[in-house]
Amino acid sequence: MKSMKLLALVAAIILAALIPVLLPDQPYIVNTLTLTLCAIIPAIGLNLLYGQAGLLSLGHMAFTGVGGYTAALLMKNAGWALPEAMLAAAIVAGFAGLLVGIPCLRLRSHFFVIVTLGVGMILYTFFNNLDGITGGAQGLPGVPRPRPLSIGDFTIEFRTPRGFYWLALLTMLGTLFVQWLIARSPFGFSLDAIRQDETMAASRGVDVFAHKLAVFVISSAIAGVGGALSVTFLRVAAPTMFDLHASMNVVAIVLVGGPGYLAGPILGAFIFIALPEFLRVAAEFRLIVFGFVLVFIALFANRGLLGLADSVWSKMKRDRMADEAPGATRTVKSEG
Amino acid sequence: MLAFAEQGMNGLMMGAIYALFALGMVLIYGVMHVLNFSHGVLFMAGAYVCQVIFAQLTGNYFVAILGSMLVLALVGCLLEKGIFQHLRGSLSMQIVASMGLIMIVQNSIIYFFGPLALHMRVETVESKIRLGPLSFTAQHFVIIGVALVAVVSLDLFLRHTRLGTALRATSQNLEAARVVGVNPDSIFLMTFALATALAALAGALLGPLFLISPAMGDLPLLKGLTAIVLGGMGSVPGAIVGGFLIGVLEAQATLVLPTDYRDAVVFAALIGILLFRPYGLFGKRERGEP
Amino acid sequence: MTRYRSTLAAAFAMAACFGGMPAYAEDVVTIGIISATTGPMAAPGSYQINGFKLAEEDINKAGGVKIGDKTYKVALKIYDSRCNVAEGAAIMERLASVDKVPVALGELCTPVAAAEAPIAQDYKVPLILTVPTADNLTTQGNPYLFRVNAPNAAQNRMIVDFIVEKNLSPVAELTFNNDTGRGAVAGRRAILPETIKSGYIGFYNVGEVDFSSHITNIRNSGAKAIVLGMDEEAGALAIKQIRDAGLDVQLIGTLAMDSDRFLHRLSADHVAGMVQGSAFALTAPGEKARIFTEAYKARFGAETHAFAAQSYDGLMVAIEAMKKAGTVTDGEAIRNALVSVDYKGVTGDLKFDKNNQAAPLFYVTQWCKDGTRKIALPQALAAACSS
Repeated sequence: MKSMKLLALVAAIILAALIPVLLPDQPYIVNTLTLTLCAIIPAIGLNLLYGQAGLLSLGHMAFTGVGGYTAALLMKNAGWALPEAMLAAAIVAGFAGLLVGIPCLRLRSHFFVIVTLGVGMILYTFFNNLDGITGGAQGLPGVPRPRPLSIGDFTIEFRTPRGFYWLALLTMLGTLFVQWLIARSPFGFSLDAIRQDETMAASRGVDVFAHKLAVFVISSAIAGVGGALSVTFLRVAAPTMFDLHASMNVVAIVLVGGPGYLAGPILGAFIFIALPEFLRVAAEFRLIVFGFVLVFIALFANRGLLGLADSVWSKMKRDRMADEAPGATRTVKSEG
Repeated sequence: MLAFAEQGMNGLMMGAIYALFALGMVLIYGVMHVLNFSHGVLFMAGAYVCQVIFAQLTGNYFVAILGSMLVLALVGCLLEKGIFQHLRGSLSMQIVASMGLIMIVQNSIIYFFGPLALHMRVETVESKIRLGPLSFTAQHFVIIGVALVAVVSLDLFLRHTRLGTALRATSQNLEAARVVGVNPDSIFLMTFALATALAALAGALLGPLFLISPAMGDLPLLKGLTAIVLGGMGSVPGAIVGGFLIGVLEAQATLVLPTDYRDAVVFAALIGILLFRPYGLFGKRERGEP
Repeated sequence: MTRYRSTLAAAFAMAACFGGMPAYAEDVVTIGIISATTGPMAAPGSYQINGFKLAEEDINKAGGVKIGDKTYKVALKIYDSRCNVAEGAAIMERLASVDKVPVALGELCTPVAAAEAPIAQDYKVPLILTVPTADNLTTQGNPYLFRVNAPNAAQNRMIVDFIVEKNLSPVAELTFNNDTGRGAVAGRRAILPETIKSGYIGFYNVGEVDFSSHITNIRNSGAKAIVLGMDEEAGALAIKQIRDAGLDVQLIGTLAMDSDRFLHRLSADHVAGMVQGSAFALTAPGEKARIFTEAYKARFGAETHAFAAQSYDGLMVAIEAMKKAGTVTDGEAIRNALVSVDYKGVTGDLKFDKNNQAAPLFYVTQWCKDGTRKIALPQALAAACSS
């Protein structure tokens, strides 16, 4: 069973990597998928924060912005290469997360949620107003793409959607791997315990605040990596990329995909970024239709689409088991 | 000193708007523990309905206000029955559903009415009122007056009617309320209808004074949300004090700080206050909460 | 409501016509349009799209346009970028690689244009901006980015000229806190001479409708003039509140306030004496402006807007370049033709400089007591109020 899963994973990665080769004449599709990959990374950060530790942040994209501006400034003005700039973006965004987390993580439930919204607004205000540093509302144009990479005879040109797609895919898989590592670590188990019952976790000797702070910093750093990737891909950093709407979008990506599931952000970002883009043909109604989709998901998939698939799957399995063993009592799962 | 007094008055006006806005949200939260992020678009829809009734159907402003409150109350009932009733206790899904509603309402409005702001000329008092050396537009006092009337009548309703008492009981202890014969389902329905009617009232009153546009509810939503958190989530007096506090703070801040940091000032103040009072100004640590 | 729907219906009908006339076997050249039909910029977006549509209809009514040895009808492919950077980039990619348009036009927001421009360059598809004003857009050294509207610097120059001429010191600002507003304020402050003091600067955010705290500060700063960096809707509100507060200062507005539609939101009393920078003056000399104004009114039932005029000219310039290049497919040839195009449009004589920036006419117009407008600057065109 486990090796089957691994095989499927490897197949999926290979297929994803081959997309630009399979669709050589479709730069638009590759471009849209790259945008999706850029959106998945901050969502992975938020998935760690909410899905793992139960902390919902409505200002998550502000940290993406901190990373994005850091990388943009370093690459544009100081001539740094993308990998170094991305690392710097992660560090600076993580540090911003630390500064924000220390006061805010003392707050609970709704208070924490609204305060993160406030933090998002405050950071957005700085992006928009510090004309001398961030370029203000007009943004920071001219962020350079990485130079072409030559491996033997094969050259990857990052100016094209195809080349950048591979870069984005690699970065996304890297952050996904980080999440996977955390989810399986003792640290991850402690976070699970905090999400399920904070008091219980504390009484078992888990330092709740330190754990929350650590995951907040990590998720901010991951968001920063996503920011660095986005501004490089779009070749501009602008405050509207990191505003409240963007933060709400990333929340929706995580919630719709299935919080806590490793693949949740991927599915969510597909639905949120790729689907509306491909629906562009039905321009007039696409956002209205999309609104109904969200309401539907809220009503019928309260653990996200993967959560829904999961419960359908286990119900089918239970049914099958019940058929095989007549008389066995069925457990009714209560939701909410 | 005079400038502070003037800005204080300006702040009270904006504060009245925020408080009126927060009132509807805090009612829903207090009774049902549902955060309705779509309150902003309901406010906006209220203004549009009022405009349609006023400009295209009757021409009577009071009928238009009542009509829009009625229509939105019905919408509120539908939303409660169809959506929010099922999402009690799941903040994350309340957010998803609200985002969906915002998209549906805002884009439908743009589709039917176009993106340009609508005009609604009601012959309001356009005179100026002098207070010593200061002069204000009548608009200031109309808004503050309306907010006060709404607050006082809501308070009277909550304290002195059977229905209001039932509502407060449900808010304080659902199980106990059930035991004494209150039907929570109908209380929830009524709360939602009342709150959306309040949103419509605010929209119908402010629409003609300002702009009727698809995005008119976005900013008040943020400030209203801040107001109820500041007030302590679920406390009606807290939400009102919170609303006025934000309005006055915003206006006074323009005297000393660059105005492009106005929103940052409000949220920084929110964070600062919550550090000292983690459950808001009027909030209490609730039973069952960690 | 009805206006919007009829526009839509007309668009559908037109699309149906194009689809349903194979017998004629007309050649169609499809032009890419990027604008906003939803989101916070939907209102200015609607004027921009109207300008493009009017140009399209004018060309097609005249039987199309002869490019090379074929006659083409023009069709627009309009996409909604919602002023969102990622969506703008995706649209540019789509226009260039899926719809394969020879040229793209439009955009409203500076950062979005900055993301679209390099893609246009990658695909060698000229992108002609018709609204964004940030000066640094056309100085990125992108040979495929053109702009037909006046940038901040040109608009500011004339407004500062007016302020200096009337010696309006100190001058206060009340401005939208977005790309256009912030850029304009910074530009004006940089070129204000020492004799003019820069007073209170108020910024407001999207959706703010009450300006009373700004107005109080402006009054206390003793400002002689207020520059209102706002669009039509917020501008009308602000002026009403300023006048109702009894503040009797010189008002200086933007091109969005240079229309009768703006007057109808207020009254002649409110705006009397106010001036505004304008990219399209109704009283501008020459037949073209008058014909355009009438055609717009007949088609959309309302007075035109500078964004519409700029966009109308933008499409015409693109067609002119295609005619010159004799191709509807070769983006590079069209770009090379654009560089040397010289087109007399409704917003002036359009030629591109070394940064691919055109220098359309720019005016300062003033409201008279009777609700009409006259040109106040440039001096050569200045006129007195009729009454």
